[in-house]
Amino acid sequence: MSLQINANMKRRYAAEKRFKAYAITALALAGAFLIFFFTDMISKGLPALQQAEILVDVHYNDTSMKSYKKAVDKPYRSIVSRGYLRTLPLYMEDHPELMGTDQSQWVITTGDVDQYLKGKPNRLKKRHQKQIDQLLSEGKVQLAFNVGFFTNGDSKMPELAGIKSAVIGSIYVLLLTIAFALPIGVMTAVYLEEFAPDNRLTQVIEVNINNLAAIPSILFGLLGLAIFINFFGAPRSSALAGGLTLALMTLPIIIITTRASLKAVPDSIREAAFGLGASRWQTTWHHVLPLAMPGILTGSIIGLAQAMGETAPLLIVGMMAYVPDAPGSILDAATVLPAQIYTWAGESIRAYEERTAAAILVLLSVLLSLNGLAVYLRKQFERRW
Amino acid sequence: MKTPKISIRDLKLWYGESEALHGINVEFVENQVTALIGPSGCGKSTLLRCLNRMNDRISGCRIEGEVLIDGDDIYAPEVDVVQLRTHVGMVFQKPNPFPKSIYENVAYAPRIHGLAEKSSEMDELVETALRRASIWDEVKDKLNSPGTSLSGGQQQRLCIARTIAVQPNVILMDEPCSALDPIATAKIEELIDELKGEFTIIMVTHSMQQAARISDQTAFFYMGDLIEFGETGKIFTQPEKQQTEDYITGRFG
Repeated sequence: MSLQINANMKRRYAAEKRFKAYAITALALAGAFLIFFFTDMISKGLPALQQAEILVDVHYNDTSMKSYKKAVDKPYRSIVSRGYLRTLPLYMEDHPELMGTDQSQWVITTGDVDQYLKGKPNRLKKRHQKQIDQLLSEGKVQLAFNVGFFTNGDSKMPELAGIKSAVIGSIYVLLLTIAFALPIGVMTAVYLEEFAPDNRLTQVIEVNINNLAAIPSILFGLLGLAIFINFFGAPRSSALAGGLTLALMTLPIIIITTRASLKAVPDSIREAAFGLGASRWQTTWHHVLPLAMPGILTGSIIGLAQAMGETAPLLIVGMMAYVPDAPGSILDAATVLPAQIYTWAGESIRAYEERTAAAILVLLSVLLSLNGLAVYLRKQFERRW
Repeated sequence: MKTPKISIRDLKLWYGESEALHGINVEFVENQVTALIGPSGCGKSTLLRCLNRMNDRISGCRIEGEVLIDGDDIYAPEVDVVQLRTHVGMVFQKPNPFPKSIYENVAYAPRIHGLAEKSSEMDELVETALRRASIWDEVKDKLNSPGTSLSGGQQQRLCIARTIAVQPNVILMDEPCSALDPIATAKIEELIDELKGEFTIIMVTHSMQQAARISDQTAFFYMGDLIEFGETGKIFTQPEKQQTEDYITGRFG
């Protein structure tokens, strides 16, 4: 008898060990994928933080004013960024004191020169390659920190393209989403959980809210298009239309997490307050909501982070437009970070590849910090009762 | 016989389809301790919660009959439940202080009811309430620490202080000592004895010794019926009904 049990024990331990091994393998696999993804993104994205510059004499005079190409000497014309040269006439208008002078300064090169210097595939002609090699040995070409990536909007010339307009668009959209979804969502949940009677109607509402949370996000885009743009006439591509659409999408998540956090507040707290003669509203506002706050904040931040990374519904309301200038108000055409990534990923010019990866890194760090904030708030507010 | 503070007339109560109280008639006397005893599910807590309309919160709960406090029906349509609960305070089974400071726990209700205008008045009110609940000496140096940091018995006395800070005339206690150890229980019982000079106390208890020790009147419930009601001494020594005797002698329950 005991012999049989001993034999069984061996088998049971073996099975347990196997099970543990499966779990560890799964974890290791997930970790490997994550590490692979991050190394790939970082190795692709980091070069975008540097930008090739060249030391040339820039002629500030009337000739350059009429034809911006003539601001630099002929041999440099095809390796200096055309996009930069184009901005010169305006710059000269703003700085008349420079007129008639020649300034030796670092200016950004074309995307091809940049890619050539970074050893990446490019379409730089042989003679220009030689010219760059020559300039490099003279120390007149360098890779410098790419300030433009953070201070420029989108551009059709990769060396000038930056994420500023997308970041500002994302901030507008996020603020609008918070402004609409958070109060409406929390108040809805408070009503359903603390005030509404438990009847057929509220049950139907509850089921529908749960279903809404599982609807493909692109449908919210169609809804936003129909309601906010076609019916209420919000400007197409505007942060207003996008923010409202994302607010619609985030609402069910906020309602569900808020209800769960309200449910988690022990009923003894409500009884204590009611027993002292507090009204329903006082009970909820003074006691239940503060206790549910950490859960509500965590859930809402995760919902908002999800909204921030969302692209599909924004495509429908026109927020993947080419937006070179940062939006000045919520009514201007704007784009958001994920939409910018989508646009760049579709570009045929190779220099956009590293910018796409760098923009993904920026988006990821924002999302990670949002999730970090959620964890921090939960720890901060967590209390026992 | 003293004047009845609370009169319950033919009170019936349903939770959905099931009838939990089958026509209760009883009168509770002013400034006395009345103990409600009986086995689990007999309706004693349900009856207690009818007295401050705590049952209103339960959906599907329906009531028939009258509950008169000082002659006024508390189920009359014009009665404000919030106001009623300031007259009829409640202490619960599990100590449930708010997760706020000891001071805030006591000051909360007077503040929402506007009982103290200046902060000095409030300080006085808080101190009086804590003193009357015999917990002042233990907490006077840590009024700002959380109420939940106290021991179970202290928490329960804090809850009593919180209740009497509103100056009710009736205090309902739903098994106030069932979560406490014997020493803490003795302190609460002592406190209840002191408080009955000012308040009408109705208390649900599972402990028959406790009912015998501190109550003036005892009501025995069984299966939603009031079986016997009378002077505690009489109920415990010469009960009229067989069921009462069986219960208090420990033959069932």
